[in-house]
Amino acid sequence: MVNGAQKDTPLVIMEKIVKTFGRVTALDGVDFEVGRAEVMALLGDNGAGKSTLIKILTGIYPPTSGRIIFDGQEVQIRSSREARELGIETVYQDLALVNTMSIGRNFFLGREPVRAIGPVPWLDMQYIADQTRRSLADIGINIRSANDKVGKLSGGERQSIAIGRAVHFGVKLLILDEPTSALSVAESRKVLDYTLNAKERGLSVIFITHNVHHVMAVADRYTVIRHGRRVGTYKQGEISYDDLSDLITGEREY
Amino acid sequence: MSVTASAGKRTGSWLGDSPILPPFLTFMGTFIVLSLFVPNFGTMRTVSSFISGASINAIVVIGVTLLMIAGEFDLSVGSMMAMGGYIFAMLVLGGQSPVLAVLLALIVTSLLGLLNGILTVTTRIPSFIVTLGTRSIYRAVVWILSGGVMIQTTEKLPVFDTLNGRLDLINNLFAGANFRMATLWALVLGIILQIALTRSQFGNRVFATGGNPGAAVAQGVDIKQIKVICFTITGLLAGWAGVLTFSQFKTVFVATGTGLELTAIASAVVGGTMLTGGVGSIIGGLLGVALVSALRSGVILLGLPSDNFEAIVGVTIVAASILNERIRLRS
Repeated sequence: MVNGAQKDTPLVIMEKIVKTFGRVTALDGVDFEVGRAEVMALLGDNGAGKSTLIKILTGIYPPTSGRIIFDGQEVQIRSSREARELGIETVYQDLALVNTMSIGRNFFLGREPVRAIGPVPWLDMQYIADQTRRSLADIGINIRSANDKVGKLSGGERQSIAIGRAVHFGVKLLILDEPTSALSVAESRKVLDYTLNAKERGLSVIFITHNVHHVMAVADRYTVIRHGRRVGTYKQGEISYDDLSDLITGEREY
Repeated sequence: MSVTASAGKRTGSWLGDSPILPPFLTFMGTFIVLSLFVPNFGTMRTVSSFISGASINAIVVIGVTLLMIAGEFDLSVGSMMAMGGYIFAMLVLGGQSPVLAVLLALIVTSLLGLLNGILTVTTRIPSFIVTLGTRSIYRAVVWILSGGVMIQTTEKLPVFDTLNGRLDLINNLFAGANFRMATLWALVLGIILQIALTRSQFGNRVFATGGNPGAAVAQGVDIKQIKVICFTITGLLAGWAGVLTFSQFKTVFVATGTGLELTAIASAVVGGTMLTGGVGSIIGGLLGVALVSALRSGVILLGLPSDNFEAIVGVTIVAASILNERIRLRS
């Protein structure tokens, strides 16, 4: 999937991204990149600009100026559908799964396997049941039955299924937006494990969070955003928890 | 780790992962209680009577239930039913071919439903409010179309019997039975839409649209399209109900269908459909409308003052909904 020539170039390069809303400058020339099969932490306090950056990457709005290079090609991401077609997907805590539906129905939502009998596309229920369990098992998530309602699962299990779904459908860049903020310690552990599993499968992950402890367990690199600017990018091991926190809050400027 | 299907769990019957059992139990419970306390309740005459009484409404309930599962409401179904009845009546009594009359009635009400859908998805106004408005607007159009005059006929056109005549095939089997074609229509349409809801790609997306529209959008589902389709189906079915109403009663007046919207929503809720969307079943809606009709029959047969009708029905609706919820949470 990744040929030798491309292996060293980053998956995502966002170059000099500026975003203004009227008189307000949300992003002031931010450079941001994510490597292949890498977990990149995106850190910054509320209002720092990290959601704006991600919304630009996921097609919710266009940058005022700057360019995006994805998988070696310069791209214009004009809608969330285009972002998804490129292989960029976001997992939001409450918007990942439909709690009233089963795991299988959620897994294939929007991409349902069908058999056309007459003019109507009918769901291939057997395929859904079997493939959901198989695909989740492949990344280490064991479910009892694809017919179990998602609402009965814990928060961590739900996040994991959303991650497993992204892996199965060949997402290239997975964006996790505050994946552990409402979870217990044990549940967070599971999510972090599956994040690493996804990376092992070749996905790149942008991990957005306030929780520096959690992200230090999984991230390869950290990018800190403050007041619409990139404060710095650090490799794991290069920077301590305290220094990172200080950078986020602005007690230290690098 | 093996991937054989887990013991005992089927992939789900066509009745669906949707909650049929609670409303079914509630209906059977109500029926048994009524049979015990109301003289002659369990007879074919009474049963066929309340089933027939519910059948035309049931057709509207099918659409309303589907729409509620998708997360939206349509309060204009009564007006659309009147519109369908009037267009059919005017054309068929005016000498037009009955096929054309039916087609035009259905096309117009489908367009009215489509308009409800488009208004809802393009403005940010909740469907409850949009259709509260169209309820009045469509009713006004009916008024203008009809000149405020009711249509009544004694002509025995064959089309009336074809569409909603007596179901003598069944009636002859049971003494006192009085079933009509409308019941057959309700059952067939109900079953078809139930299967579509639980077994088609469209149905999967309807559940998602109502259950968590944000998640549905994130997975690439066009929720606007799904909602507009459901609104259009609701219009179509309301129009069909109007056609069947005229076929049976040979009468339609400007106020036809008034109050139908609340009966329909109540039936859907009694049948297990949640007001918040994402959960429900068409068959449940049919059970709900049958239950309310059975209750009305019971109240009449008991000779209770008619003022008590609505109160008793209202209490039962609330009780049935609570019961459904209890059973649902326990499963």
